[in-house]
Order: sequence, then C-alpha cells, then structure tokens
Amino acid sequence: MIFVNLEPDGKRIELSDIRTVQAVLNRLQLRSTMALVARGGELLTPDRKLSHGDELLVRKVTSAG
Amino acid sequence: MKCTRCRKTAHVALPSHHSGFCADCYPLFFTKQVETAIRREKMFTREDRILVALSGGKDSLALMLELKLQGYDVTGLHIDLGIPNSSEKARKKVEDFCALHDLPLRVFEMAAWGLPIPDVKKHIKRPVCAVCGKMKRHHFNRIAVEEGFDVLATGHNLDDEVARLFANTLRWDTAYLSDQGPVLPASEGFVRKVKPLFRLSEFETANYAFLKGIEIHSDPCPYASGASFTSHKELWGELEHRSPGQKLQFYQSFLKNGKPAFAHMEKESGAELAPCTECGSPTSAEICSVCRIKAAVAESKAQAE
Repeated sequence: MIFVNLEPDGKRIELSDIRTVQAVLNRLQLRSTMALVARGGELLTPDRKLSHGDELLVRKVTSAG
Repeated sequence: MKCTRCRKTAHVALPSHHSGFCADCYPLFFTKQVETAIRREKMFTREDRILVALSGGKDSLALMLELKLQGYDVTGLHIDLGIPNSSEKARKKVEDFCALHDLPLRVFEMAAWGLPIPDVKKHIKRPVCAVCGKMKRHHFNRIAVEEGFDVLATGHNLDDEVARLFANTLRWDTAYLSDQGPVLPASEGFVRKVKPLFRLSEFETANYAFLKGIEIHSDPCPYASGASFTSHKELWGELEHRSPGQKLQFYQSFLKNGKPAFAHMEKESGAELAPCTECGSPTSAEICSVCRIKAAVAESKAQAE
C-alpha cells in the first residue's frame, strides 16, 4: 500500500499494487510534468521504485493565473 | 535516471530538455534559464530598481528569490484582493517569505481603495477573473510609475504565456497578439514590464520552489473555477507530453515570425492613448476601464441599499 497526499486538493488516498512513481502518476491520470512527487522531502523522477508503506506528496503544478 | 550534469541520482526529469538533474544541480539549470531570458531580451540591469508582483504562488516567489540571489535590486508588491478565506492566507505567505529572506515589500489593499474583489463579483456581470486581472495590472503599473521603479517583473511562466497566446490566437486578437511577449517596453504612462520566467514551465518553477523550501500559497482562488486558461494549459500539457519542446517552440516561433506582423497591423490601426480624466492612467477612452468599473460598482451598491 502507498499513501498519497494530494496538493492542492488536500486529499489523502491509498493506492495498492503500485511499484513506481510512474504508476502513481498513471493511476492519478497525471502526466509526469503536471505534478511533482516527493517522498520524505526528496523529489522523485517517474522511474523511481516505491516500497510498501511509502508516504508520498503529489503536488499538481497548474495554477489558474 | 542520472543527473545530466554530475551523474548522481536525478530528482527532476525534464523531457523537453532531454535531461534530468539532481537536487544540487537543478537550481543551476533554473538560474541559467533566467539569466538567458534576462540577457537575450535585455530585460534589466543590476542598476535598475525592479518591482516584482507577488501573488504568493510558486512562480512569483521563486522569481523574487532568484532575482535576489542573482544580485538584482528587487522590491515586492502584493495586492490584497479582499477575498474572504483566501486573500489573508496569500498575504501571510508573501509577508512571511519577504521577512524570511529580508526582502522589501509593499502591500496594496483593494478593500482600503474601496473595491474589494467580492464587490466586483457581486455587482459586475463580466467574468470576475478578467476584471480582477485588469485591476491588478492597473495597480501594478500605477504603483511602479508613481514610486519610480524602472521595471515591473511578473512570474508568468512558459505555460502562462502559451495559454495566453493560444487564447489570443483562437480569437485572432490582433491588439493582444501585437504586444504579447517577455518584454513590453515602457511608453507614456506605462513602466517596462518583463517576464523573466518565460523560458521555464510551471513544472520547472514548482520544482525550484520545492527545492528552495519556499512556502507557497497553493489554494486555488475560490472565484477561478472553470477559467479557460486552466483548460488551455491542460490541452497544452497533453501536446507537450506527446511532443516535448512543443510549447517553447510555439512561443518562440510566434515571437520571431508572428508578432512582428501583428505589431505592424496594430501600428496602423491601433487606438491612441491619453491620460484617464479620473486617475491619469493611460487609456483609449476618456475614463479608463478601471475607473469605470469602480463607478459601476458604487452605483450598483447605492441602488441596492
């Protein structure tokens, strides 16, 4: 299980059967340049592997301005 | 993925540049892009006094910090829009950021000026985002001129510019297409306006802000839902994914091949500007649109009471 904190939505979701950052982005229907992904304060590129219990920040970058 | 520069583990992947960077090298990439923008477009020098428009979002705060780190003379300007449960949060982020980095800041309050944005939304039938943008541009320019700044810098990034160009193109709006670009030269009543982040995408700016530990105001504006710019950005995000580099190519090709033609057309048919009889700001009408909106809100409020 992977835990994802979504910004700016302020939601927290759980994802199962996920092994890479790219898979998280696919599950959330986000392109890799539409959100940044971090684990423990470290930014992750889409190819990085994830472990069971990882807690991620997914911050969408599009502003309305 | 390895860092293109030092071969350590990359933290940011940039498909449009066919590269990736680690946390240490990424800010160097960002700095280089901003330096290139300033140098190639002759935006300003270290002798210029620069007023930086600060919304509290990632782009404006990243721009302010980067310009300070590059040794420029910067002062921040935040406009408090007076929107409940939103404006006070944005203002706090800006004030905290400027205090932390020892940056000078001006705050202009729309409510104290007599026109908080909720009043605009309530009393004016036009889309509030368009009117709010017009108000902000008016005050950014007015304050820059009145306080003797050489240049006004905004945090508009490549995605903002491409979305705006796309919207202007969909309407074939020759007036806007004639002067859209990273630099708008000073003219009578108008300070020079520059966009030093125009070579960088929102994703690239967001990564810089994250790595620099900038606390940003990321809540969406409560009035902005469904804004067309957001959907245009999503369309362009998909295009960029399929063809990395497309956004910068579209924008730079417009600057080189499209803009001069529109500027030529507008020179022949564009409206003459004169000072607004109410506030003195340049306008093609007797009274500028900002003063007309302010009067319309006052009239509507008086009728409602």
